[in-house]
Amino acid sequence: MWSLIVRWRGLALVAVAIVVTLWLAVTNQLILYIHPRYVVFTAIMAVIALALLIASLVVRHGHDHDEVPTRTQKVVTVVGAVLTLLLAAAMIIVPPATLSSATAIQRDINSPTIGAASQTVAGTSSASNATFAKFTVVDWSSLLRQTSDPAFYAGKPADITGFVTADSNDPANLFFVTRFVITCCAVDAQPVGVPVYLPDWKQKFSADKWLHITGGFAADPSTKSSEQIALVPSAVTLIAKPSQPYLF
Amino acid sequence: MPLLRERGARGREDEHRHGIRDGGPPRRRTRWLAFGVAGIVLLFVLRAVTSRASIPLPNQVQDFLTLTISVIIESLPFVILGILLSIVVQLWVPDDLFVRALPKTPMLRRLAISVLGVLLPVCECGNVPLARGLIVKGLTVAESMTFLLAAPIVNPITIITTAQAFGWTNGILIARLAGGFLIANLVGWLFAKHSNQFGLLTDRFAAECRVPVRDAGSRLEDRWKKSVDLFVHEAGSILPALFLGAVAAGLVQVVVPRQVLVTLGSNPVWSILAMMVLAFVISVCSNVDAFFILPFATTFLPGSIVSFLVFGPLIDIKMLALMRTTFRARVLLQLTIIVALAAALVGLVVNFVA
Repeated sequence: MWSLIVRWRGLALVAVAIVVTLWLAVTNQLILYIHPRYVVFTAIMAVIALALLIASLVVRHGHDHDEVPTRTQKVVTVVGAVLTLLLAAAMIIVPPATLSSATAIQRDINSPTIGAASQTVAGTSSASNATFAKFTVVDWSSLLRQTSDPAFYAGKPADITGFVTADSNDPANLFFVTRFVITCCAVDAQPVGVPVYLPDWKQKFSADKWLHITGGFAADPSTKSSEQIALVPSAVTLIAKPSQPYLF
Repeated sequence: MPLLRERGARGREDEHRHGIRDGGPPRRRTRWLAFGVAGIVLLFVLRAVTSRASIPLPNQVQDFLTLTISVIIESLPFVILGILLSIVVQLWVPDDLFVRALPKTPMLRRLAISVLGVLLPVCECGNVPLARGLIVKGLTVAESMTFLLAAPIVNPITIITTAQAFGWTNGILIARLAGGFLIANLVGWLFAKHSNQFGLLTDRFAAECRVPVRDAGSRLEDRWKKSVDLFVHEAGSILPALFLGAVAAGLVQVVVPRQVLVTLGSNPVWSILAMMVLAFVISVCSNVDAFFILPFATTFLPGSIVSFLVFGPLIDIKMLALMRTTFRARVLLQLTIIVALAAALVGLVVNFVA
């Protein structure tokens, strides 16, 4: 009886993990959890596992070692089983989601540890406006870390997409248009953001909403925030979450 | 119904004698197949239907779920690959190949085992089932521990990704390889001194090792059946541990601010400890951790980066949960302390030299 419970819990978890992985692969949502370079490998392995799982239903199983567990072992196993089955249920029922602004704040937007600059001041000095309009949140934030000279940004158009994370020092007037950058999987996601100055922005939208913003950079008018340069938007549009919310 | 139950009991007896039962009469087998396939289809349907629903969860809870699922999905293919290789080692490779091909002297034997990862390139989560397979196949527990600790680092994929991130000539790759190799052999040497090798294992796994049920039959069909059976058995043992490890890793990430670790980064001693704690918490695979840590290379001292790259693949939350399927808790505690001290030492040496 006991080994039967343990076995069925194992089988249920295997089935859930495989089904969720394959469903995410088919609906092109694996990238919400892992870097695109692992998608094919992950999908192939899940298909192999599914084939073996179904084959095992035909073969039926061999001998499980029916040792009699002690009381504590039983308690630990039952607690573990409840926890893992709850997680399995959540994996099947809760719709897949991207990381939210809570994690962005917890992980510190634009922390100085974010790596090599994607754009350099010297490299972009002669770039055209069309080039700047293609810059992502990551490109701009790497420039913002290098120079806070308003003259450098004058006349350069910004056209960026990201979700809203409130600034911690001046949450009423300043927010970050944020993206997570992923090197391997969502576990290592680093939040990157461009500060946007828009007084009373909370009247128009809330944190975590996805925005498309155009505008230009200027010295940050906010006195409370620690940002020196901020984006002053000329147009802000609420958009749906993009199918590829992370940057890689 | 009583008739069925009786047949079930008989089935268990058969199973005792033969290791595998053939599933009784075909009708019953078909029923199981239909039942199982229906269950899997139901899961797919449920997942597809509920994906449109919106379940309002607080941000922290939602992110905890996302991070936990991310750990599971990232590890799953490597775990499956590890189990497949373990099946090959246990059932498809001649019994004495590994045992005979290795040198007889214990020290040389462990040295040879620690470069086995070059032939069996899986990262650490896949190594747990593989190491279990090697114990079943006749390696001592200390020897399989050497494999478990060396293979995630001394392995072509890890070497290539580390080189991509840090370059071939940079000391970090060399320090990582040397550190992993030395620690694996140190641990193997220490645990080999243990007189009762099976005493290091959990009762459940030790019992499985004593019963030679896995000797592959001569018939090809038997061998396939046993492979399938072994896959389900190993996946059923490893996945609950993976789920629990992922829950712990996800929870810690939501609760502990990343910044706490990062601010410790510039002190030669604290940075090493901070990096090791980060490695312990983040639980990413050794095949990819070099990419993860690369952004930190500008602010952290090189020794602490090496400590991260040496400690992380060997010990982290997810790995401890996975290894608990095989080793006793006391053994894991000793292992963690030894590896942590050794990894810190490697980091200090690199900081001192650099």
